[in-house]
Amino acid sequence: MDNVKKLVTQELSFALAIPAFLWQLIFLCVPLSIIIYFSVAPGAFLSLSSYVALIHFSYVRVIARSLLLATATALITLMLSYPIVYYIVRHLSYIRKHLLVLLMLPFLTNFLVLAYSWFFLLERDGLINSFLMRFSFINEPLSLIYNNGAVLIVMCYCYLPFMIMPLYVSLEKLDVRLLEASADLGANAWQTFVRVTLPLSFPGIKTGLLLVFVPAFGEFAIPTLLGGSKFLVVGSLISYYFFVARNNSLGAAFTIVAGIVLFLFLIALQKGVTCFTSVMKKRE
Amino acid sequence: MRSIRLEGITKSFHGETVVENINLTIPNGKFFALLGPSGSGKTTLLRLIAGFEQPDKGRIFLGNRDITHVPINERRVNTVFQNYALFPHMNVFDNVAYGLKIRKVTRELIDEKVARILKAVHLEKHIYKQINQLSGGQQQRVALARAIINEPDVLLLDEPLAALDLKLREHMLIELIELQSSLQTTFVYVTHDQFEALTVADTMAIMNADGDIEQTGTPKEIYEFPVSSFVANFVGSTNIFQGTILEIDEQYKIELPHLGVFEITIPAGKEWVQPGVNLFMSLRPEKIEISKTVQHGFSNMLRGNVAAIVYHGRSTQYDVRLSNGMQIRVFEQNEEHFPQEVIDYDDQVYLYWQKENVVLLDR
Repeated sequence: MDNVKKLVTQELSFALAIPAFLWQLIFLCVPLSIIIYFSVAPGAFLSLSSYVALIHFSYVRVIARSLLLATATALITLMLSYPIVYYIVRHLSYIRKHLLVLLMLPFLTNFLVLAYSWFFLLERDGLINSFLMRFSFINEPLSLIYNNGAVLIVMCYCYLPFMIMPLYVSLEKLDVRLLEASADLGANAWQTFVRVTLPLSFPGIKTGLLLVFVPAFGEFAIPTLLGGSKFLVVGSLISYYFFVARNNSLGAAFTIVAGIVLFLFLIALQKGVTCFTSVMKKRE
Repeated sequence: MRSIRLEGITKSFHGETVVENINLTIPNGKFFALLGPSGSGKTTLLRLIAGFEQPDKGRIFLGNRDITHVPINERRVNTVFQNYALFPHMNVFDNVAYGLKIRKVTRELIDEKVARILKAVHLEKHIYKQINQLSGGQQQRVALARAIINEPDVLLLDEPLAALDLKLREHMLIELIELQSSLQTTFVYVTHDQFEALTVADTMAIMNADGDIEQTGTPKEIYEFPVSSFVANFVGSTNIFQGTILEIDEQYKIELPHLGVFEITIPAGKEWVQPGVNLFMSLRPEKIEISKTVQHGFSNMLRGNVAAIVYHGRSTQYDVRLSNGMQIRVFEQNEEHFPQEVIDYDDQVYLYWQKENVVLLDR
């Protein structure tokens, strides 16, 4: 009887997992297979020539630029969000839900619209420049757009909610009594922050960094729009190969290489963090 | 000096006064219990002493030093929290060593002290366990160890045993008493459980639901000589009668409406008890004898019918309905397997007590 029951539950759990399986199959496995096929079939025959074509310094530079952009975006959004979220949760907790909604409100707008509105703000005849010119603060328009700074600012702006949400969740469930206990045991505010608050919000920080870093690495709209044609990142290069150059095989090969680099980078980061924390522990 | 003195402490939250004009002295090196019903402000007093809250008015002294505005981390006061508040990301060792690490004590000394203190609370086998691998009782001991390792002048305990089962609680109470007498630290123990307070305290204070301190004294003083019917009711259980003092043949007696006139003794210090005064009389259930037959040698007697019998094991509780409808509670020790006299429901019984065993109260 028990065996039958066990079998039934097994069958049932399998049945319940089917939609997820199908989802993964249709939207992950199939497209990935197509990409892999494209990358090894530049012509009528299978060949690795597309990968060989990628062995060039300019591709390394594009991937490095994307890694740098994603890292900078992730770190800056963390630096911006942590104090804000901490302050809201600890000192404005009675209106924290409302403030969170306010923080999130701009991001209910479409991502592209957000990027475009920054474009209209920063461009040569944009709002900022025309305002400053109008009131004679400047005589010539500032070049606010088509540089690294513009890309980074807008990237940080657009990816902020992906950092705020996980930080909010982890800081909100932080038990105030633990902070009291720390103070009671002689710690000042900074010691309490380093020894209790920060370690306990670490899962939130990690999730936030990942949620920002991964999509930021593949981002192509913002760099294209605000960085200009010289600012090539992984996303814009892929879209260039597929939609402009019509070189599907090279585009697919580059996609796969970039994906592998991202994967290895994250694993290395994870290893590095584990090492760092254990060293810190030993040092105590 | 490790005594604590509260002078005119007032504290309110969101316009609601929790404690008002509290004056209290907690003696040096004693086990002090602060007993009161939930919402009486006893935890607020504890948090004021610890420094988690600032009083609106009044001052707090530790020894002769005014610590009212000294920050939490600079007070030589440590707290054992109700829910323990152990750091979940640290193991037992790191939790206990926390205060020492903050004070930058050397690694060797930390190792030695933690080992010693964990042995004292019987946790030496669990030194590297994570907090969530411990039982409630073990977590309680970690919380205790984490606080006392800092050798505070005063240890505050906020309902520390509330989450433990009865047997473990009784055991921990004994350990706490032993710990206190070996450390000679001032312990302030906040609880709503009169059994715990009576067990551990050298001195105790009773707070009422309005946040006032009704009485301070030794457990025995408080139990035997409560100053108000609130204290008499809250610490242990009692029977409260309302009556009027009469003078008959140069003797003061008490008239209880519809029940008759009873003998009393008036101890020193109760000069306000004068003929014509309306007052309350408290009579503890265990100070009443119950019998179906007429007994001699008691100053007072009442008649009633048994309305309820509750068997507690070591004693039996009888609720006896009097002729005026009032119910009186009586405890009788179960001294024998087969009592000579079996009292059953609806039996008519006599209740006897000595006049020295009542307490006269003005409120």
